[in-house]
Amino acid sequence: MARDWQPDFEQLVDEHQSMVYSLAVRMTGDRGLAEEIAQDVFLDLDKHLGKIESPLHARLWLRRVAMSRTADALRRQRVRGMDLWVEVEESHGASAEVRQSPLGARLEALLATLPEPQRAALVLRYQEGLTPDEIAETCDAPLATVKSNLQRGLKLLRAKAQNHLKEFIRGA
Amino acid sequence: MAPEPVDDFERELRQAFERRPAPPSLKRKIMERRRRQNTERIHRRVVFWQRLAASVLLAVAVSGVFLWRDMDERRKGEAARDQVFTALRIAHHALSEMNAQLAASGRGAQ
Repeated sequence: MARDWQPDFEQLVDEHQSMVYSLAVRMTGDRGLAEEIAQDVFLDLDKHLGKIESPLHARLWLRRVAMSRTADALRRQRVRGMDLWVEVEESHGASAEVRQSPLGARLEALLATLPEPQRAALVLRYQEGLTPDEIAETCDAPLATVKSNLQRGLKLLRAKAQNHLKEFIRGA
Repeated sequence: MAPEPVDDFERELRQAFERRPAPPSLKRKIMERRRRQNTERIHRRVVFWQRLAASVLLAVAVSGVFLWRDMDERRKGEAARDQVFTALRIAHHALSEMNAQLAASGRGAQ
């Protein structure tokens, strides 16, 4: 069956680079690594471009592959015994990027202290605005696990924010 | 559809976790790597076909040499067989003549 929509690689990069990069940088905390992951994700997309059926499919595919590539990168770094978040600001200065608000930066720093599955659930929930069902599909995890990760992660982040970010947050 | 935040903290979280703009160089790097990969892919394909063509040529040449040697040996064998037949024919003729002479001289003696 002929498809109406023909994927345009450059346009897909334009539309989704921010999403892929943000997911990678929030999960790894390393801007350089996040850039590499984003490049790999889009080159992977280029290989699979013929199988992409719609703009929605492209977005879901990119989100899923970005999370999977990020998890792989974190696993590789764990094997090497590196803690990426420790090196964030030293190795890749923020000068080239848009400066974040102090609260945003601190919340991201606190997010980095959460276990990876909880971090993934929270990033997908609050950056991408996904429902638990969508997160479960994206991460290929059971719904109950995702809900538990969301609840625990949010509780933990809230507790950490209460201790560290009192001056910023009203609801913490 | 984004889920509704239930309290201020979740609202703050949503604001703090807005998508970051990708570095301006990201797209350029992606397009460069894509171009490089495509070039490498084409180069690999060309090399593959070149190697295949060279292998086919080599196989044809080797087969040709073997075929030529086989035909040459067969031709030489046939020539040798013809020579043997000719020699046999000559010997047969000589023996027949000798036999006829012996028979004639035997009849003369009687």
